[in-house]
Amino acid sequence: MLNILCCVKQVPDVNLVKIDPETGSLIRQGVPAILNPLDANALEAAVMTKERYGGKVTCITMGPDMAEEALRECLAAGAEQAVLLSDRAFANADTLATSYVIISAAKELGKFDLIFCGKESLDGATGQMASQLAERFDASLLSGVLTLCEVDESKKLVTVERELENGIEKTEARLPALITVEKTNFHPRIPNLKNWKASRTAEILRFNSKTIPDLDPAQIGDPGSPTKVPRTYPPEVGESGFILQEGSPEKDVDKLFALLEGIV
Amino acid sequence: MAKYNRLTPDVADRLQAIVGKQRFFAGSAVKPDYAHDEMPIYGRYLPEAVCLAETTEEISEIMKLCNDRKIPVTVRGAGTGLVGGCVPVHGGIVLSTERMNRILEYDMRNLCVRIQPGVLLCDLAADALAHGVMYPPDPGEKTATVGGNVSTNAGGMKAVKYGVTRDYVMAMTVVLPNGEIIKLGKSVCKTSSGYSLLHLMVGSEGTLGIITELTLKLIPKPEKDVTLMLPFHDIATAIAAVPSIKLANLDPQSIEFAERDVIDSSAEFTGNHIFPTVVNGKEAGAYILVTLVGNNEQELLPKMDRLGEVAEKAGAYDTLVIWTDTLKKDVWAARSAFLTVIEAQSKLLDEMDVVVPVDKIAPFLVYVHEEADKQGVYIKSFGHAGDGNLHIYCCSNDLEEEEFKRRVKKLMDASYAKCTEFEGQVSGEHAIGHAKKQYLRESVGDTAYAIMGQIKTVFDPNEILNPGKVCHDLEGGAEAC
Amino acid sequence: MKKTDYRDMWVYIEHDGKKIHPVSLELCSEARKLCEASGDALAAVIVNDLPQEELDKVLEAGVEKLIFVSGEGYETFSVDAYTHLFTELCKKYMPSAVFVGGTIAGRDFAPRFACRLLTGCTSDATQLIYNEKTGDIEFVEPAVGGKMMAVITVPELRPQVGTIRPGTFKYQPSGRREHEIIRERIGFPVDQIRTKVLSFTAEDLDDSLNIADAEVIVCVGSGIKGADALPRYRKLASLLNGKVGCTRPVFDRGILPFKLVIGQSGVVVKPKLYLAFGVSGAVNHVTGITDSDKVVAVNKDPDAAIFHYCDYGIVGDMDEICDLMIGHLEAKKTEDAS
Repeated sequence: MLNILCCVKQVPDVNLVKIDPETGSLIRQGVPAILNPLDANALEAAVMTKERYGGKVTCITMGPDMAEEALRECLAAGAEQAVLLSDRAFANADTLATSYVIISAAKELGKFDLIFCGKESLDGATGQMASQLAERFDASLLSGVLTLCEVDESKKLVTVERELENGIEKTEARLPALITVEKTNFHPRIPNLKNWKASRTAEILRFNSKTIPDLDPAQIGDPGSPTKVPRTYPPEVGESGFILQEGSPEKDVDKLFALLEGIV
Repeated sequence: MAKYNRLTPDVADRLQAIVGKQRFFAGSAVKPDYAHDEMPIYGRYLPEAVCLAETTEEISEIMKLCNDRKIPVTVRGAGTGLVGGCVPVHGGIVLSTERMNRILEYDMRNLCVRIQPGVLLCDLAADALAHGVMYPPDPGEKTATVGGNVSTNAGGMKAVKYGVTRDYVMAMTVVLPNGEIIKLGKSVCKTSSGYSLLHLMVGSEGTLGIITELTLKLIPKPEKDVTLMLPFHDIATAIAAVPSIKLANLDPQSIEFAERDVIDSSAEFTGNHIFPTVVNGKEAGAYILVTLVGNNEQELLPKMDRLGEVAEKAGAYDTLVIWTDTLKKDVWAARSAFLTVIEAQSKLLDEMDVVVPVDKIAPFLVYVHEEADKQGVYIKSFGHAGDGNLHIYCCSNDLEEEEFKRRVKKLMDASYAKCTEFEGQVSGEHAIGHAKKQYLRESVGDTAYAIMGQIKTVFDPNEILNPGKVCHDLEGGAEAC
Repeated sequence: MKKTDYRDMWVYIEHDGKKIHPVSLELCSEARKLCEASGDALAAVIVNDLPQEELDKVLEAGVEKLIFVSGEGYETFSVDAYTHLFTELCKKYMPSAVFVGGTIAGRDFAPRFACRLLTGCTSDATQLIYNEKTGDIEFVEPAVGGKMMAVITVPELRPQVGTIRPGTFKYQPSGRREHEIIRERIGFPVDQIRTKVLSFTAEDLDDSLNIADAEVIVCVGSGIKGADALPRYRKLASLLNGKVGCTRPVFDRGILPFKLVIGQSGVVVKPKLYLAFGVSGAVNHVTGITDSDKVVAVNKDPDAAIFHYCDYGIVGDMDEICDLMIGHLEAKKTEDAS
């Protein structure tokens, strides 16, 4: 029986975030919060692994109360248990502080053989969580997995194919292992009615900064985050390029090729 | 076809004076796209000139001139039609409404919106939602103009619950063939005030007058929606489930079906693998998609349960729930790609848009597949299971065009005859154009067909507006190019 | 912790025994500039041996210290061994900053040793600035899908660790300097390496997926209607002897693979001609194209940001313009042929 953890995040659909032209600040209102798309692929990999070898998938997230919705989505798609780590004190955490809270809570949930997480998030997009979670869980790191070839529970080994810059590497790693996957072979599934309904009312296990034992307040949230964002600003925009206005698309294209003479 | 005059330089000059140089194209300046719609198999006919109109008044001036000079005028929106409706088969000019694309005014007290006819359906739908209301008609082709939707009385996926385009047209401004401007309908919900010319205009395919402004009904937008996917062993079992779904008192917004091979093509082509091919260990051969709407989750739950029960009894392999925005986006993106995928993967293509009683969908499809096998063409189909509106594409990649046309003609003749036998209609939403006139006549009978022709003459005594379409027959025709 | 106790900026020199990965040299050049401002010395960390001519490239970038590390456990790359190595090295020498190329390997181990050291790590900065007042490096990067720029710092801890994507900066040899050579032996027990490479298959080089060096790029952005619209852009690219690339949302929609994503979290390109179709112009994408010679943008929205980054712009339907360009090129081809 494999004990599998899948770390997920609820993110704003950044493609729909707009900037207030007056203030330059982000308009998040009305922007739907979604399960981070690459986390859905990770979850699918976790569930597929469980279905093949037997076991249990726990999904875990740190976020505000509304992140519960992302967890229910995971339950519907095949996770058995959902854990929400929510506390004001967790806010403004960078990857170091987030990974600390997750490992601290995960210790309460038992020992995990495999930990899955998305390659990167749509909003923060640092892509650092996998590496740092692997460190926190003292696990082997297998990033960019294309195929999960085999999990040998008795030998505590997992074999995968990973996609590297210039080819495909077959690697064997000791358990526990932390895995991020490529999208290619792990298409998120559509839940069936039975699982979906169960997910709507399933109990979500909740932890806050008080209920996670021995949590060091200096390592969570803003105080626990070594990276800071002292300022943000709207991207600088240069002068507009030369816009062709020849009267018709055909003429614009002709003019364009005239301008590109020597290059094309 | 001595009846019509060709465009002379002086008429061209006057047309150019009406719309201005930037919006008038004649001769070689006319883009080849104006010679066809999305079904080029019905022939390409290049107009002598194209006017991009911007106002009712301009259109009125153009019509006065062309009526006087007996020059055919064919109105065109986005050119996304499938029966050659906007193709100038008797030459003359094409009057394009593509520049009349402004949403003019929302009237939230009376829940309606006033628009120009060239507004694209996708733009209106999105804009309405942004205003907190919904324009329900939802034909698959989102880049069609709303004017085109009205002219064909387009239906679409949500027709099961909300009805078709006709049900949302409250009023319109029309330019008659002689250039006269009339207003039909009012922004009210009832009328018992004489013959409804408004409704005569809806679905008249630009043969009676030119719609230059529309007032459309809106509804409050539903708060929640969910789509349930029911995979089945085959299309017959899938379709057989539809009556029981309709009887379950769920008031679904849409009931769609898709066959496995269209799904496979779509997945292969778009890389979107959202439709599961194996469900609970079994290969799915067909799918039904049911969309339910409600004010909240609690309201939807019992309906979903009931649908699940019905689906199980009907032999569905499972009931899958498309609840999240991400899944919805993926599923409907796959669904919207069907036609494009079929178009892209078939060298030769013809289509039928028949409507048959829901219980006849399966036998009709079986019949068409058999006939297609006999003719050596292959069939791809999808459509609106809830109202029996089927989009059946006859395709070939290896036949010569002439041979393909010959064989498809046989297939069509047999299929439309079968459709009539099943008490069906020639077209559900793509209309007649010039491609389906023969089948319309056979379906409605000579008397009805003749009355349609007489009505046409009342509006358009010189027969200059979109000649050769729907019920208008002329000997000869322009040279196809 | 006293920040001033931490001196020197390090660049990890990624190599395969024969060649240095270009990103490491790019980082040496960029870190050189930071060192000018901060007064730190620039050091290169080299694991195992490197041919002299490759070493020369490092020295040409103005490196003042070469830290050679050898020992058991570094025969092949492993996250476990390299994490250990950098943790030990940082503890001993206390560098102010460590820059690592944002390759798959770099992104695997750099955040991990930062975590072990409990210090801050940033990724994918597109600009590095030394702030004299605070003594911190400002890692500037596009955020929230490129809608805004964020400045990230590690104000209280050292070292400041950053992974940077290949191609973000330029390798500009600034001349050799006096340099000190340090040799370290840090072993890592082989039996503690938890991963074992069983085999490696060089990818059937699908050349179309290698866009970093393409001379012409046809990039499709979120304006693309769907995968079914792709063939025309492929055709245009082939007529121009170029390749197709895309923006991040196109990957998110499952239309094209990640290897074709241009920008901050994808590939940085430097073509002679870059054609953007339906690209909005979010900074996280634009940072990947700044070295293009000529940029052409086609977008139906006249206010699209991409028009501020282009040489020539056409306001119009991307598919239509693409088709017209194909028509133009094909006509020219037949003309030339006859």
